Amino acid sequence: MNEILHVNTSNNAYICAVKCIDMASPILLPRQGQSVESCIISQFYVAVGETVSVGTPLFSFETDKASFEEEAKEEGVVLALFFEEGEEVPVLTNVGVIGKEGESFEEFIPEVTGDAGSNTLVEATKEAVSEEPARQAFVASGSTAPVTGDIFISPRAKKLAGQHAIDFRGIAGSGPEGRIIEKDMIAVVERHGKKTPLAKEKMRREGLVPGDMRTGPGQVIRAADLLKGDTSSTLESELVKIPHIRRLIAKAMHQSLQNSAQLTHHLSADARRILEWRKKVKQAGGANITLNDMICYAAIRTLKAYPNVNAHYLGDNIRIFKGVHLGLAVDTERGLMVPAVKNADRLSIRELSERMKGLADACRSGSIDPELLKADGASFTVSNLGNYGVEMFTPVINLPQVAILGVNTIIPRPMDMGDGVYSFVPHLGLSLTYDHQALDGGEATRFLRALADEIEYLELSF
Amino acid sequence: MPKSQFIDPEALRKPSQLVFAPIPVNQYAKTIGEEKANFSDDDFKRIYHDMVLIREFETMLNLIKTTGEYQGVPYNHPGPAHLSIGQEAAAVGMAYELDADDYIFGSHRSHGEILAKGLSAIHKLSVEELEKVMNTFFGGVIFNTIRKNYPQAGIRPLAIRFLVYGTLAEIFARETGFNKGLGGSMHVFFTPFGVYPNNAIVGGSGDIAVGAALYKKVNQKPGIVVANIGDASMACGPVWEGLAFATMDQFEKLWEGEYKGGLPLIVNIMNNQYGMGGQTCGETMGYDIAARIGAGLNTDQMHAERVDGYNPLAVIDAYRRKKQLLAEKRGPVLLDVLTYRYSGHSPSDASSYRSREEVEAWEKHDSIASFGHNLVDAGVAGKQELEGIRKEVQDMTLDLFRLAIDDEISPRMNLSKDPEAIGSLILSNGSVEKFDDREPEVNHKMEDNPRVQQLARKERYAFDAEGKAHSKMKQYQLRDGIFEAMIHRFYKDPTMIAYGEENRDWGGAFAVYRGLTEALPYNRLFNTPISEGAIIGTAIGYAMCGGRVVPEIMYCDFLGRSGDEVFNQLPKWQAMSGNLIKMPVVMRVSVGSKYGAQHSQDWTSLVAHIPGLKVCFPATPYDAKGLMNSALQGTDPVIFFESQRIYDIGEQFVREGVPEAYYEIPFGEPDVKLEGSDITILSVGATLYRALEAAGILKEKHGLSAEVIDARSLVPFNYEKVVNSVRKTGRIVLTSDANTRGSFLNDLATNITSLAFDYLDAPPVVVGSRNWITPACELEDEFFPQPSWIMDAIHEKILPLKGHQPVENFTGAEMIRRAKLGV
Repeated sequence: MNEILHVNTSNNAYICAVKCIDMASPILLPRQGQSVESCIISQFYVAVGETVSVGTPLFSFETDKASFEEEAKEEGVVLALFFEEGEEVPVLTNVGVIGKEGESFEEFIPEVTGDAGSNTLVEATKEAVSEEPARQAFVASGSTAPVTGDIFISPRAKKLAGQHAIDFRGIAGSGPEGRIIEKDMIAVVERHGKKTPLAKEKMRREGLVPGDMRTGPGQVIRAADLLKGDTSSTLESELVKIPHIRRLIAKAMHQSLQNSAQLTHHLSADARRILEWRKKVKQAGGANITLNDMICYAAIRTLKAYPNVNAHYLGDNIRIFKGVHLGLAVDTERGLMVPAVKNADRLSIRELSERMKGLADACRSGSIDPELLKADGASFTVSNLGNYGVEMFTPVINLPQVAILGVNTIIPRPMDMGDGVYSFVPHLGLSLTYDHQALDGGEATRFLRALADEIEYLELSF
Repeated sequence: MPKSQFIDPEALRKPSQLVFAPIPVNQYAKTIGEEKANFSDDDFKRIYHDMVLIREFETMLNLIKTTGEYQGVPYNHPGPAHLSIGQEAAAVGMAYELDADDYIFGSHRSHGEILAKGLSAIHKLSVEELEKVMNTFFGGVIFNTIRKNYPQAGIRPLAIRFLVYGTLAEIFARETGFNKGLGGSMHVFFTPFGVYPNNAIVGGSGDIAVGAALYKKVNQKPGIVVANIGDASMACGPVWEGLAFATMDQFEKLWEGEYKGGLPLIVNIMNNQYGMGGQTCGETMGYDIAARIGAGLNTDQMHAERVDGYNPLAVIDAYRRKKQLLAEKRGPVLLDVLTYRYSGHSPSDASSYRSREEVEAWEKHDSIASFGHNLVDAGVAGKQELEGIRKEVQDMTLDLFRLAIDDEISPRMNLSKDPEAIGSLILSNGSVEKFDDREPEVNHKMEDNPRVQQLARKERYAFDAEGKAHSKMKQYQLRDGIFEAMIHRFYKDPTMIAYGEENRDWGGAFAVYRGLTEALPYNRLFNTPISEGAIIGTAIGYAMCGGRVVPEIMYCDFLGRSGDEVFNQLPKWQAMSGNLIKMPVVMRVSVGSKYGAQHSQDWTSLVAHIPGLKVCFPATPYDAKGLMNSALQGTDPVIFFESQRIYDIGEQFVREGVPEAYYEIPFGEPDVKLEGSDITILSVGATLYRALEAAGILKEKHGLSAEVIDARSLVPFNYEKVVNSVRKTGRIVLTSDANTRGSFLNDLATNITSLAFDYLDAPPVVVGSRNWITPACELEDEFFPQPSWIMDAIHEKILPLKGHQPVENFTGAEMIRRAKLGV
């Protein structure tokens, strides 16, 4: 938890509250970036009645992209907490109150928050607060959009979900006002595979799960096809609630595969030259320019020559970017994050290297600016798994970008040196996944070849 | 508009003047001595006895209400007791000459009339007849109670106690009352003694009694009918409508043979000077003497006169003379019986509207005291004898009071033991082919009827072998279905009659009855005055007496004109009588269109709201005939809705065609007109065809298969078929031409939601008319549900349809907006 950095905010009300110990003051949920309207309270570190001092971690919260922690700005007793873990709260809302024991906090009870298009009405009565922080969320009159987080599902669809043991929480409803209706559930059922009544009964009663076998007529899953796969009932396990950020990644990845025509070309580049450059960098000391920095640098240069790859596919239009805004896949404890290096084509190799390192660190520490994590903030993404020895993979495109480059490990390959002489030459594997909706195979191949050439003949000055 | 009557301008334009005959006022002037030729001493004493009994009965009720006890026995009666203390001579005088076959109808203040008529009937019926009546009534329950307590008494004394006890137990809401305690003080009646329903709605009997007289006349039954109504009820519309109906020229000028002549009806105004607290003479009316009204109604001036209701002999004299007039078919008669009540309107009445001097002055004229004096003076009875009568009545009253308040002997309905005790009485659900065995009176054989011959040549299925529609002229239409059911019943049930505006000659405004004029005499099919209240009110009286009747009010929009009759009378009497009375009334109501705000409304929801009515709205010839057959075989009041949009529609669903033979379609069974699997559309009435159009579009444009169900009936309604459909489809739209707010469709939708919640993929959506006035014909498509509205509702509330561009706004926000504005 200590790695989670506190992010400074410019909120005046928040700063003003610091050190005002003469009277109770609210704990505000800070705003994280201009586009953030609400955050999810991940965990409370304190409870009502606990004494806190300045700097005591109060709670953690997360946006679509990152997690943060809020500390106490004054000392006192936690008089009230108005929300529960897992709840979505509009920013700049009072999350709780710190003050002296017995002080009134009534005036800080959050009421209607009408800002930034949020129609969430949070209602808390005095009694409810003193007992437990119970509230009700309503869709304010006139609103047609469901409050984020609530799931509207018709009784019929819900029944179907029960019959087929389907978790409907991730399903996008196509009914009026986003309601999940029977049609949506049927689509899911069909995807999961049709089962015989006996198979369904066995799934319910014995906790069996479908495997790959579909031996019934029309690929129906029969009872005999089921596996003893329900870990919750047969194996020792723990049911972990999926964090918000994981759900967002899941949704984005799933949508990517659902909504584009992805395929991957693999090709390898002679790595002798970049290995040479790496050796030189090390010898020179100073900045630690990594192989990945060099590959990204080469990719940026290649993208300038292939603008169609440095683009967003938007259905009716394709947005072609002038500059290169390079997305960088970063593996973190909380999951995959892809910060963008804006206008990367204007940076020297050294600047690029420093920027990428800074962003990766910020991601891992949770202090990344959410604005930089938006998928449409980058024009092309590089995902490097070479460090882990991956020889070939098919990265998933970050929609609406049209392509993503997978960078593999370097392996020696036999190479015709002329005159019937073959020797082992280190080769860097490159995997380009592209959206065939936006790019044809020829252009994708030419881009990938050009990138390999760029790597093979890389020129650097540092 | 009979062609036989020539309206001659030459004659009509001649100058002349109307001359009215003098209306007698208090002309009776005989002494007891002079009347000894007409009455025995026992008769005189019986008159005295009956008045004393009524006085004691009501004094008891007054004491219970005001002091909580009678002769030291405490009792709390929280219900109503509208007393007529002071009016006894008028009641006994009215009833004295009447036979058990003569019927009286009354008001909320009719205890005296009930007892007087009952006592009169007990005197006139034979001991055997009396015993039979008492033994058979409710299986002899009341009679057994009385007999057990008076083992020594003879039949007539037992009958008197039976009468008093049955009335009192009814007032106290005991199951041993004459109507199982379901009528109460304002509604007690006992038809075996000729006591027909009393009515808590002022003037309520004013048209119902006319229908009873019509029944006597049409079915040639012995006896007359007396409508006891108050002086203040002469201001009520239904009373005037009843009078207009009762004095129609056609009885004398168009009805033939034994049917020719006036109704056997006496409109008996119990003129006690007050309507609650409003003084009719001098304050709230302008007739001065109510008998004046007769002069305005027909050339006979209704033989109107005022008689002194404080002298029983004066009233009896009037009834002797008037009964003779009725026997000569010169009715109806209007009597203005002068009387006065000492008691207030009800026990809570502080009599702030009259002076103590006025009440005391009338008490000095007290009819019982003065009649007693006269009897003593004339040597008919001694003072002690009269005192003995009084004492005996007092003792009997106390005895019967004790019996009636004993929870063991006189229990109330036990609704926790039998929760459906009342529910089972709301509808009678009988099946009766005919209400009399005599040969139905018709003008020719059914096969000789021109309409019947014409129908034989019609196509009873709308389409030919190739599926091509026959021409409208060739198709057997919805109106033909109703006609066939009607003529069938006219030839089966001799009591069956039909009437309304333009029912004869014209053939009904929408040609349903074309051909019936040829088949039926006037006494079975006739035109009425434009009096929707009396059209329904008389039908109620007719049915109560045991006849089948089909009144028609032309446009649904005129339903309001018969509001009290449809809401308060027609639905209530079966249950309020403990189901002794049956109500075989089929009320035809036609829903219009194209004629704007007051001629195009579907008010099915209004009547469906009222317990005690059956409501149906067929939309196909097959259903119209089958449901009308059921309605005409039944014993319940049916509001039979028809739509002017589809009188000419052919049969599109029953491939075999509408059967020529008799068949019934049970009430309450909706019918699947089109099978489907993706969405259910439930329609009421003529919207069936728009629902089918929408189903066609859904199939063609969206590949969705709609199941279209025609509700056919609203009350009763079997949800099973609809729920099964919704279980299958998961979606339902309900549509009718009724405006949406308060539409019965909302009731259906709520219940469907409750019954099929877990099967629903979206909430049931109601597609009704806008909550506006019905605009002109050219704008109607913006007002009544259209196939496109059904599509819009599905798209916006149930299942978004790809590429559909909605026009009508069914969103939640729009619902809220409209509701806020009240439109």
